[in-house]
Amino acid sequence: MKKITLFIIACLLLGQFKAMAQDDLLGDLEKEDNAKPKQNITTGTFKSTRVINMQSVEITGKGNLQFMISHHFGNIWENGKGWSNLAEFAGLNGGVANTLLSLDYSPTTWGNVGLALTGKAQYELWGKLKLLRQQTGEHNIPVTLDWFSTMHIDCSEGASPEDFVWNRMSYLHQLLIARKFSDKLSLQLTPSYVHYNYTPYYGPKTAGGKDANNVFSVGIGGRYKFTSKKALTFEYSRQLNGYKNLLSTETGGLVNYNPDLISLGYDWDTGGHIFQFYVSSTTAASNITQLSRNTSDFKQGNFSLGFTINRSFGVKKVVKTAP
Amino acid sequence: MKHILLLTLSIILGASVLNAQTYKTREGYLTFNPNKDQSHKDYAAASKEATAVLKVETAEVALLVPMKTFHFNNALLEEHFNENYLHTDKIPNASYKGKLIGFTKDMLAKDGTYNISSEGQITLHGVTNSFKSPVKLEVKNKVATFYCDFPIQADKFNIDIPAVVKPKLADQTPISATIKFQLNQ
Repeated sequence: MKKITLFIIACLLLGQFKAMAQDDLLGDLEKEDNAKPKQNITTGTFKSTRVINMQSVEITGKGNLQFMISHHFGNIWENGKGWSNLAEFAGLNGGVANTLLSLDYSPTTWGNVGLALTGKAQYELWGKLKLLRQQTGEHNIPVTLDWFSTMHIDCSEGASPEDFVWNRMSYLHQLLIARKFSDKLSLQLTPSYVHYNYTPYYGPKTAGGKDANNVFSVGIGGRYKFTSKKALTFEYSRQLNGYKNLLSTETGGLVNYNPDLISLGYDWDTGGHIFQFYVSSTTAASNITQLSRNTSDFKQGNFSLGFTINRSFGVKKVVKTAP
Repeated sequence: MKHILLLTLSIILGASVLNAQTYKTREGYLTFNPNKDQSHKDYAAASKEATAVLKVETAEVALLVPMKTFHFNNALLEEHFNENYLHTDKIPNASYKGKLIGFTKDMLAKDGTYNISSEGQITLHGVTNSFKSPVKLEVKNKVATFYCDFPIQADKFNIDIPAVVKPKLADQTPISATIKFQLNQ
């Protein structure tokens, strides 16, 4: 009997000690918080929705509308132009410039749709889906994976031989695979596929010209943040199926495009806007043109200056009852 | 001997019951708007996932909020909040530990509104500061709601705000907390 009583007392005492140990209310909450399974989803792999010219894995935040202005000036220097290169002030005063104006909206955290004017009466409509998000915790996913698809319509004057609307369309499909290696370093791999419904030239292999409608390329991009607001970016994309020595259907002459796209940029996050300044081996504003019909040859030193300004607006209010 | 045993037992049991008198919620609501012009809600953020406890006997309170549960109207600002200002990867939580002043157990027993206050220590961005603020307690239909509006000064918590952004922000960020406890009596 005595033993049992002692045992009960011991148990109760222990119980009370346990209760006393819980006196640290905050410590208790912290313990509970630590015990919760944590899922760390990587954010901010890139500052902007574009690395430089190429799309990045980022999309505008949920319920946010983003306005983007991107401007590509003329070539900084062109061989054979001599002193007029100086007068053109590194292409800024050259008279050739392509502007991209775009609006995009993310109805969800994983989906984004957008519309852009890409210069020379060209329009683009796109969708970007986040398929995987880099994360650690219960599930480990090493990379962020996006699917990006654009439809491009050329509305410029001048009839193609068979001028159907269908013939003025082209498409770009990309897989964006990125990993944020550290706070500072992010890298991205981007295989791309461009398809033209109609091209005014054909490839040398097949007189029918089928092989001139598709352009495959693979690109890499990266970002190195050297302060929380400033970063260096680069990108390089290379065509895989050598989109060159094409024969024009009109004149029979050779048509050549450059297979490389190389850019170096600087990201500056001012708090409300994101500015991107860059030097790029293209003067085109559309991704499709940059990847398939790039007329600037970086081996000839054909680089041009450009900048992008991003601003996003919270359209759908997350915080409804603000103080 | 038997009496002593019974006495000990009753004391222990009594103490255990008293200790158990704590209320807890996992849905504490915190919101703030750092904008100078409070009518603009574009910088506003809120978290619905603060955990809070109240120990009735000692009037002790504690609150913990994971900073990543704050969501902003503007997604870019949310990224800045996490990456540039609060460094939430390294310092994931903010907390409060303190006492309710002027709070008695009887307040929870019947419906009414009471003006009390709270004093304690707030830890934000890894910096701990003392805290004192009036608190409103509303008891209604077995729910005790604590309302607390208080200002936070960013530089007191080592939160570095760049000169470009500073003019747009209020010197003191008003924070408002709404903590509801379901009473079980």
